[in-house]
Amino acid sequence: MAEHVLVLVTAIEAGGPLRDADGEALGAAQALARERGCEVACALIGADVAAAATEAAERGAGLILTADAAGLAAFDGGRSVTIAAEAVGRAEARVVLIPRGPDVLELAPRLAARLDGASVVGATEVRTASDDVVAVAAVFGGAARAEYAFRAPGPHVIGLAPAVAEVPERRPGRSAPAVALAIPEADGRVRTIEAAPDVSGPRLEDAKLVVAGGRGLQDGENFALIRELAQALGGMPGASRAIVDDGWASFEQQVGLTGKIVTPDVYFAVGISGASQHMAGCANARCIVAVNTDPEAPIFTFADYGIVDDALDVLPALVRLARERGA
Amino acid sequence: MPTADASGGGLHIVVCAKQVLDPDGVNSFAFWGRLQVGGDGRSFDTGEMVPRIINAYDEQAVEAALRIRDARVDCRITVVTVGDEEAGAILKRCVAMGADDAVQIVDAAAGLGDGFRTARLLAGLIAELGDVDLVLCGRQGSDYDQGTVPAALAERLGAALVTMSAGVAVEGGTLRVVRVTPRGEEVVRATLPAVVSISNEIGTPRYPSSRRMMQARRQRPERREASDYEGAPGAVGVEVTRLMVPDVQGHCEIIEGGSAAEKAERLMAQLHERGLLGG
Repeated sequence: MAEHVLVLVTAIEAGGPLRDADGEALGAAQALARERGCEVACALIGADVAAAATEAAERGAGLILTADAAGLAAFDGGRSVTIAAEAVGRAEARVVLIPRGPDVLELAPRLAARLDGASVVGATEVRTASDDVVAVAAVFGGAARAEYAFRAPGPHVIGLAPAVAEVPERRPGRSAPAVALAIPEADGRVRTIEAAPDVSGPRLEDAKLVVAGGRGLQDGENFALIRELAQALGGMPGASRAIVDDGWASFEQQVGLTGKIVTPDVYFAVGISGASQHMAGCANARCIVAVNTDPEAPIFTFADYGIVDDALDVLPALVRLARERGA
Repeated sequence: MPTADASGGGLHIVVCAKQVLDPDGVNSFAFWGRLQVGGDGRSFDTGEMVPRIINAYDEQAVEAALRIRDARVDCRITVVTVGDEEAGAILKRCVAMGADDAVQIVDAAAGLGDGFRTARLLAGLIAELGDVDLVLCGRQGSDYDQGTVPAALAERLGAALVTMSAGVAVEGGTLRVVRVTPRGEEVVRATLPAVVSISNEIGTPRYPSSRRMMQARRQRPERREASDYEGAPGAVGVEVTRLMVPDVQGHCEIIEGGSAAEKAERLMAQLHERGLLGG
């Protein structure tokens, strides 16, 4: 076997398809593979990964590596890392791309450390420079970007930010050789004793439009206006950490470094100042609309459109207009 | 409250802390378009205008350790840092908060942004301390946001790893850890030795009393050199080769209008025109 650029997809839920983030990683891998004169491999670790495997091959992966077990539907710490390490070996990968997701911060550096490699997460750009890869990632919550060179002898593990590449076109019927990876025993050192709430239904991370509210709503009851606007525009409501802490919105609605990372076409930030912790969760929206009474709020440096006015005056007008459009 | 047993016997907790440029200061420089990269290409030219402080996630890790002691677990808390000569300043605050001991590894290569190097140095020190049961780290540095150290450290030490913790309790020789996940909180049990990374939901870190501040000022951190643990003073994982500040900051089109309703109307028209509202 020869070198591959490896895309590592973990925590595939039973029968699930690839997510947009996985497709983007395949796209980024293809570009790198062309420059390195090699092919793309895709490792799929999860529960019932057959559908995802077919799709990965149809989207251009030349080698499929699978680890299929019910217990792998969620990221499983040390066990997932052991499987990933075998995938790196099988694919003879020097460059490993990991799609964005909640487990990257654990998986990327841990896999790298195990294989005497190195990692960069949140990469907004990955490119080839003098025979090696270079990754660019935000620092200080997006105030600047850093360019990283790799100095480790082992693989270069790169966690990707949203929208680093286009999802490659799907060519039905295209197939690739598949190899099953060994599935080790679960790492008994860390056991889940109370699972996180099982939230089904639409996910904020997938929403095409998000209306998020912050302290500028002045009172918890006014979060209803955020929900109404989101509903009228066919989107989902989100919240700043401050108002989740205040109990005005639920944790599932929190956007930011400690909450959800969203990538909608339009993100309304209503009464949100734009602290870096919040922007880390929404900076990759295609278009950001800010509504804030303070014209010097940091949010206006990130926004595409701004309204300097009281959220409680602007929201009812927006709700009315959105409903008229929908009607 | 039981006092720590410095001769061992109790649980030995190491907290890893890092000095960073105050991210709020850096962000306000960026906001005013005054953020510039220094002559070395990989640090900011903010002079003395932006203070160097303890990474807020690491301060949460110190607080998490102290709360284990508050729960009457017999423990010794050692806070460690890797950084340049000045980086040891944050250790005094940690001692004033209640840590028993402090160790600084002085590393001239600390500015390279290489968390893998930092993890190696910390692993060397922890091995030297010998009796460490639990290592607490902030989930990531608020400077590079890479979160490398806890994961790489756990791998090097062969310890269990729990990330994104909002609370750590020691129960009969094992850990009960509340984790923050995108779906809400989950609870895991982990064996010792373990590395646990702390998110920012622990609670407000305690403010040291002036008496403790005075005491801490007299206590000198123990000092080690990077060369005690690592040969060459260079990057071993990654290296920041340059920092880039976005040229254009702010491209916001402010929607003007006589009333909130008028502004709302113009905004909706703009979004519609750009095809951003679906259908």
